[in-house]
Amino acid sequence: MITGKGITKTFRQRGGMLGAREVPALRGVDFSIEKGGAVSFIGESGCGKTTLGRILAGLESYDSGEIVIDGVPMSSLRPKQRQPHFRRVQLIHQDPYSALNPARTIHQTLDAPLTLRAKQTGRSRSWIDERAEELLGLVGLDPGYVLPRYPHQLSGGMRQRVVIARALTVDPDMLVADEATSMIDVSLRLGILGLLKDLRDRLGVSVLFITHDVATARYIGLDGELYVIYRGQVVERGPVETVISDPVHPYTQSLLSAIPVLHGLEVPGAERVVPTEAIDAAQPDAGCLFAARCPFRTERCTSELPVLGHDGGTLQEHACFHPQRRSVVATPAVAS
Amino acid sequence: MSVTSDKRAPGVRISDLSVVYRTGAGELPAVRGVDLELEPGTITGVVGESGSGKSTLALSMLNAVQPPGRIRSGSVEIDGLGDVVTLGGDDLRKTRGRHVGYVFQAAQNSLNPLKTVGKQLLDLGRSHDVDDLPGLVKEARSLLDRMGLDGARVLDSYQHELSGGMRQRVGIMLALVLNAHVVVLDEPTTALDMITQATILRIIREVHEERGLTTLVITHDLGVVAEIADRLAVMYGGRLVEQGPTREVLGAPKHPYTQGLLQAIPRLVGDIDEARALPGRPPTLGTIPPDGCVFRERCAVRMDVCETGEPPVLTIGPRVVACHTAAGDGEQKETVTTGPTRGEEQA
Amino acid sequence: MTATTIMPEARSASATLRRNFWRGVWRVMKRKPSRMAGVVIMAGFAFMGVFGPMFYPEHLPRDTSALYAPPSWAHPFGTDFEGTDVLALVITGSRYVLLTGLVTAVITVVLGAGIGLFAGFRRGRWDSVLMRITDMKLTIPGLPLMLVLSTIWKFTSAIEMGLVLGLLGWGGVARAVRSQTLSLRERGFVEAARGLGLSTPHIIGRELLPSMAPYIAMNMLIAVTGAVYAQVGLFFLGVLPFEANNWGVMLNLAVFGGGALTTTAALPYLLAPLLAILLLTLGIVLVVDAMDEIFNPRLREE
Repeated sequence: MITGKGITKTFRQRGGMLGAREVPALRGVDFSIEKGGAVSFIGESGCGKTTLGRILAGLESYDSGEIVIDGVPMSSLRPKQRQPHFRRVQLIHQDPYSALNPARTIHQTLDAPLTLRAKQTGRSRSWIDERAEELLGLVGLDPGYVLPRYPHQLSGGMRQRVVIARALTVDPDMLVADEATSMIDVSLRLGILGLLKDLRDRLGVSVLFITHDVATARYIGLDGELYVIYRGQVVERGPVETVISDPVHPYTQSLLSAIPVLHGLEVPGAERVVPTEAIDAAQPDAGCLFAARCPFRTERCTSELPVLGHDGGTLQEHACFHPQRRSVVATPAVAS
Repeated sequence: MSVTSDKRAPGVRISDLSVVYRTGAGELPAVRGVDLELEPGTITGVVGESGSGKSTLALSMLNAVQPPGRIRSGSVEIDGLGDVVTLGGDDLRKTRGRHVGYVFQAAQNSLNPLKTVGKQLLDLGRSHDVDDLPGLVKEARSLLDRMGLDGARVLDSYQHELSGGMRQRVGIMLALVLNAHVVVLDEPTTALDMITQATILRIIREVHEERGLTTLVITHDLGVVAEIADRLAVMYGGRLVEQGPTREVLGAPKHPYTQGLLQAIPRLVGDIDEARALPGRPPTLGTIPPDGCVFRERCAVRMDVCETGEPPVLTIGPRVVACHTAAGDGEQKETVTTGPTRGEEQA
Repeated sequence: MTATTIMPEARSASATLRRNFWRGVWRVMKRKPSRMAGVVIMAGFAFMGVFGPMFYPEHLPRDTSALYAPPSWAHPFGTDFEGTDVLALVITGSRYVLLTGLVTAVITVVLGAGIGLFAGFRRGRWDSVLMRITDMKLTIPGLPLMLVLSTIWKFTSAIEMGLVLGLLGWGGVARAVRSQTLSLRERGFVEAARGLGLSTPHIIGRELLPSMAPYIAMNMLIAVTGAVYAQVGLFFLGVLPFEANNWGVMLNLAVFGGGALTTTAALPYLLAPLLAILLLTLGIVLVVDAMDEIFNPRLREE
């Protein structure tokens, strides 16, 4: 189980002559992921979802807040001691083309982390080769074919499977899949998603799925939770099916309304919210971060910041002063 | 659609187009025997995965296939212009921009990072011998304003000062500013957010209707096509395997590849177990089978004849499908279910 | 145990890999005749440098009856002011020149790549310190320093010469390797290696270095030519006292002793070492062209 409380992170951009500019990426995010569970972060690019994934994988630092990995609070450890804990979270990169070293064969790629693992657990050399074959089999690849090859000799889907196999070499508790299928051919995506789903069941690995594609998030974890993130703040959170069918935050509604409708197969949602694009991302001084783009904003939204919480009428938590359930998602066309 | 300006929109007829690439293993076809008609004033979407030949097809519209590729046979007839394939030199260069506008894949990278958008606009104008440069700038500004931007400010901006969605609009502006009436958009929303994508698609649709265009959208994303295209063409391994009115094709796909592709897309509602991955993987230039059906390796309903026989191209009303299975039962619907709904005719 | 049976298998896997690599190298070289020509030229020079001097007595014979003799069968490039065969001078003089080039190249690349990789990978304080040192080093003008050094140091051994030239030359490589490292370390596979907890030596040596191999190999070859030019130039200018013969000494004597620029008699004496330098450079340039394909598995296998 991995939990986070009040995680904040601010990037300092060098702004030329005017000096450093501060860009808040995360503004106090709380989350928790059960063992074997599935959590999806959705939101636009730059909303902070990728940063959060990288923080959990130990690739990025955070400014404040607490992360607890399997009961061990990270604040109780010195930075060096934290690394073995963060190693139990492995990141699956978006781009399977840059995630594998082009100059090394798949055998070499898997051998390095497995050798390290064998050393830690006092296992023999033979275990390394057996484990490499086992892991490739687990992700649905033929070890005999894949092992001696270089990444460029494999398709995008196969590479992404190799990347997953490599992440599994260290027996992680959680995989962070950051847009893990967006660069893979449409007909192959489902295979990768199915594999991640399968790994949850078979290995008890939890999956943190980071995406802007809500449908894929739903596919991985129907039983999981959905976090909708806007500009570093969780604006809505709840069970996947609830958030998709009964979103209450206008941003979630915009996001869901923007998903293309397969006309002919589906009909658009009844209360589709026409989303407005963030052309000018100027920082409001006060109030709701989404107010400038929100079609339902009121006076209060521009002066007061809503916080995430329950109210009586909804199953999910949200950060909105005027929550209203709207059915925005396309529904199957009724067969005539 | 576009009732007011249909007269200006030219039609495009691509017939028997074949494009080959020279490789170590000889000349391999990236596009083979494609027949596609873009009716005046419509949006046609071409959907395909990597290696399907969709981008090569788009480049052929401008006769801009680069060596080692070349157009081996066929023609691209554009009303008021003739066969683009036979054009060359200056005539061809003038065609691009004046008659056919092209919005490049990832327009974010097709701008010159060292010049402002306005400078690049003027370069474009000069290279096309536009006399009225102030008029061109005015036109560009009004186009950008139309797309929801501050035109004057955008023209003074460098590429890095614009967001992905803004760059895509600039790409569309540059394709239209010389008054082209045939527009090709290559992956117009790849790498954009959902909301930005929705906005760009809306803009494409609106500008298309207002200016009376004939538009071709190339994409890997069925959703994009479903949102804006009147007609949908599905490519696989260099062939056009199915085409027809978007709603009809999506509602009742006839080709096993289209059916498989639709089934492989996770959906927002319904039983997730309905989604099924397509086995195998798309062919690359080197692995496209030279004869027989290109899709047979991954096909659930393949027959012996698929190994050797070129699938017959059947025209069924407004729809065209190239498959042996469709040959036998002509107008009959397929039995494979597609997602939550059964594949029913929506016509 | 199974361990013993698997061990040879693992070893054979890496042996296969090595064999495939050399087969790939052979394929890449065969692709263009010019590359083979380059290899032949470089092999010829290597042979000349290693074994050439062994074919001649320590003191080359002088034919005092044929000073500045024109080319003939006995003397293909004629003779010098003492009647010594010019070809023999070129061959015996090659060892010093080539050895210097080699030592310089090794030092340039090892220091440059090492510092560049370390600075680029560690970033932060290490990076700032190392790069300031590199900048300072880059501002030291090489030639004047060599002139000053030569007044107190005779550079009788090629290794000393190479050492000095190498210590003067690593700055550029370090800067370039650092910037490459900075961009590579953001790549997915380097991040993955960090996430998996692989050691820094592994990441630098096994993940980063192979990706930079073509670049480093090119720099190494180019450093050889640079070093040859530099030292020949120094000897030509007569800055360094010459005790043994080498190509630079020959050029110096041909121009300032034999007046090769004004009379034709000493021309072959001038042209022979020049030709050797040109040929060596040509050989290197022809081979450099293949480096990208050799170290990139995709280009190698195709």
